[in-house]
Amino acid sequence: MAFLDVENLKVHFPIKGGIFGRTVDHVRAVDGVSLSLEKGTTYGLVGESGSGKTTTGRAIIGLNNITSGKVTFEGKDITNLRRARADFRKDVQMIFQDPYSSLNPKKRVIDIVAEPLRNYENLSKKEERKRVQELMELVGLSPESILKYPHEFSGGQRQRIGIARAIALKPKLIIADEPVSALDVSVQAQVLNFMQDIQKELDLTYLFIGHDLGVIKHMCDKIGIMYKGRYVEEGTASDIFDDPQHIYTKRLVAAIPDIDPKKRDEQRQFRQEVKAEYEQSYNDYFDDEGLAYPLQSISDTHKVALPEKG
Amino acid sequence: MENKNEIEQVEKSPSGFSIIWREIVRDKLALVSLIFLILITVFVYGVSIILDQDEIVTVDLFSIHEPPGEEFWLGTDYGGRDIFGQLIIGTRNSLSIGILVTLMTGIIGVVFGLVSGYFGGHIDNIMMRILDFFLILPFLMIVIVFVAIVPKYSIWTFSLIMTAFLWMGIARLIRSKALQEKELDYVQASKTLGSSNFKIMFTQVLPNITSLIIVTMTLNLAANIGLESGLSFLGFGFPESTPSLGTLLSYARNPQTLEYRWWIWVPASVLILLLMLSIRNVGEALKRATDARQRRG
Amino acid sequence: MWKFTIRRILIMIPQIILLSVLIFALAKMMPGDALSGMVDPNVDPERLEEIRDKLGWNDPWHVQYADWVGGLVQGDLGQSFRFKMPVTELVGERIVNTFWLSIATLFFTYLIAIPLGITSGRYNDTWLDQSITSYTYIGFATPLFIFALVMLWVFGFMLGWFPTSGSVSPGLQPGTFEYVMSKITHLILPAISMALITTVSTVQYLRSEIIDTKQKDFILTARAKGASETRVYNRHILRNSLLPIAAFLGFEITGLIGGTVFIETIFGYPGMGLLFFESIQLRDYSVVTAVVLLFGIASILGALLSDIILSLVDPRIRIK
Repeated sequence: MAFLDVENLKVHFPIKGGIFGRTVDHVRAVDGVSLSLEKGTTYGLVGESGSGKTTTGRAIIGLNNITSGKVTFEGKDITNLRRARADFRKDVQMIFQDPYSSLNPKKRVIDIVAEPLRNYENLSKKEERKRVQELMELVGLSPESILKYPHEFSGGQRQRIGIARAIALKPKLIIADEPVSALDVSVQAQVLNFMQDIQKELDLTYLFIGHDLGVIKHMCDKIGIMYKGRYVEEGTASDIFDDPQHIYTKRLVAAIPDIDPKKRDEQRQFRQEVKAEYEQSYNDYFDDEGLAYPLQSISDTHKVALPEKG
Repeated sequence: MENKNEIEQVEKSPSGFSIIWREIVRDKLALVSLIFLILITVFVYGVSIILDQDEIVTVDLFSIHEPPGEEFWLGTDYGGRDIFGQLIIGTRNSLSIGILVTLMTGIIGVVFGLVSGYFGGHIDNIMMRILDFFLILPFLMIVIVFVAIVPKYSIWTFSLIMTAFLWMGIARLIRSKALQEKELDYVQASKTLGSSNFKIMFTQVLPNITSLIIVTMTLNLAANIGLESGLSFLGFGFPESTPSLGTLLSYARNPQTLEYRWWIWVPASVLILLLMLSIRNVGEALKRATDARQRRG
Repeated sequence: MWKFTIRRILIMIPQIILLSVLIFALAKMMPGDALSGMVDPNVDPERLEEIRDKLGWNDPWHVQYADWVGGLVQGDLGQSFRFKMPVTELVGERIVNTFWLSIATLFFTYLIAIPLGITSGRYNDTWLDQSITSYTYIGFATPLFIFALVMLWVFGFMLGWFPTSGSVSPGLQPGTFEYVMSKITHLILPAISMALITTVSTVQYLRSEIIDTKQKDFILTARAKGASETRVYNRHILRNSLLPIAAFLGFEITGLIGGTVFIETIFGYPGMGLLFFESIQLRDYSVVTAVVLLFGIASILGALLSDIILSLVDPRIRIK
């Protein structure tokens, strides 16, 4: 049994219409996603915007209602987090994409970071203050700044505050929803390296959601690629980057810029080849509705969405 | 001990008073209005401690309809009662009920709007249908009917009746703001951190809409004073034994008084107008202070 | 469009039912019934009880409610205790007066709002705009009844330009020219008094609408093409800004309802508002009930009207 198991997860949003506002159709934001995470590793979930990757993460933590499917965490069913016991909430935390809207502008840092502590731990004011200061130190911010408001910090610092809040309860799993895509490139690496440091220190497991393949390659052990609510390919980092099988993955990988100027021509040629292949064989990889086929295993770790043979 | 003080300071909620103050000082009209309001409030509440309400509303048959003079600065009404004294007590009563109704509608409206907007979906749908229904009721008539048929009529029942049909405006405003706020990540974050919906609504979302609440309630105060005086004018507000500004105006329903005895109703009209204008001026200044996204904390 | 209208009308049905239940409950809470006014006080109370029984007034409430609604549908609003006549007849004369008063008020409202709003929007931030804005600002803060009192005092009593009460001078024959003129002169002062206050929000709305439209790209394009300023205003800006004003019509109707009670009371104008005021003072509750119900339905229809007009003007609303 894996650390986190997601089986055939579906999240559908109703479309209302007609005179009585009945549900006429559904948006299939997540349409049958399965994944499993090992403890202490980082799993990357990649896709373009609207592919359902963020919805997947939010459904796992309980921010979106799950239409069908099953989520198990450490062997316990947490599909319906609202009914699940409170300690699951403690064990699964989230880092949000936008460090500007994810911190309440009317609260001081101490109130923001202490919010989870106040919900789960009965600390005296003094202990609480000490814990918050320790956390601030851990994320590399000055413990003296706990009386400030979020707008007095830079984007990178704010994301660190968000991380401090997420690790306050010593969770086991952190869902990081594009944690650096709202930050300046110069700050991104800083935050990412820091996330890797605390991962070792606190033995964390990450579900890392992102669209930047460079970042994903840097962070993740295992990667799943999503397109229109379905998986197109899943595998280890080397499976995906060195041996992409699905045409969609190939295009994504081909689009990663290379800093080596000598390889520029080679790169351009490769990209054009992939583009030609994409246009030619699109219909082989997607069904009539333009959705991906179910996954087929091609090795122990590597799965690709291909039409069934025959 | 010292440490404890420090912690308490930490717990204090942030205040936007400095910006509001700056905005009011910059706007001379709002500043004058605020000073006027403070002066008149202090004066009216202060003097009415000394003045005896029962004495003022006691009928004195020897001085009916006296024009303004030395004994009665602003003359007397048909019961020989001093207009000036009634004006002071009337202003106090009008202000008191205006504030009371504004606070009560504010509380109901904020809770209703917050719950409706925060939960959304079916709850919101049902709550909005209820609100829509209250909104289409002919306010003035329903209130008058209630005032007429309610047994044991008093100031409290009057303000309750007004409140029952006046909470919808602020509720609708708060609801649409709550709808926006709940989509922000800080609300989602609070959910993942294990805060209950109740806690999120009142400790996370509420601080972010306080400025809207303050502005709306200030503007509502002006409107409520106007409504109360209107109802009293028609004879369905304060009883004559506790005069409000509207009570003085109701004497003008008599054409004789309207035409020949201006001192009874003109001062009260001017006072209502000044009160409403100054409260609005302050409210508009507050609105500007909260609109300009220049707050520091 | 049709979908929206049908859905909007469907929403109205529970509203009307709820309104009728509320008013029925209010009517039941009111002290006394039609018998207390209709019958000789010397009649034996037991006999009264018998009559009550026969008329169904001791039935369970839902049966009474059904009877009452049945009567309403047939146009039977009950009996006035005081005037000893059917409420329908009593209301009949008054409703015509209120209808004309409302029409006159709406006429003046738009007559004032459109030129002021256009001037204020077109020449914004000039002294002309500033004086119009000051007027709307003060108008917003002025309670209608105070303004109406002042108008009556100044133009009715001090200057004597207008009659100070009634809807027509006594002794004139209906149908004659003098009769119509008298009706009109009795209407003007109340209608203008109400219009000057209610028009304020329309002026403000029109002003900001025009200022908004002025900056839009299609207006800049029209100017760039060399269209004259007058043409830009008449053909492009007004067409876009006046439409939303139409939607205000429904809201105005709702606003008029509260206003008529004040205006008709102050100007002694015998319409529905004054009827309401008089009958509640006389404790003639069957009339009160009928008037509140009619005004309630009028305001439901007003809201319906403005929603439908708004949905015609602004397609975004239809989606909701």
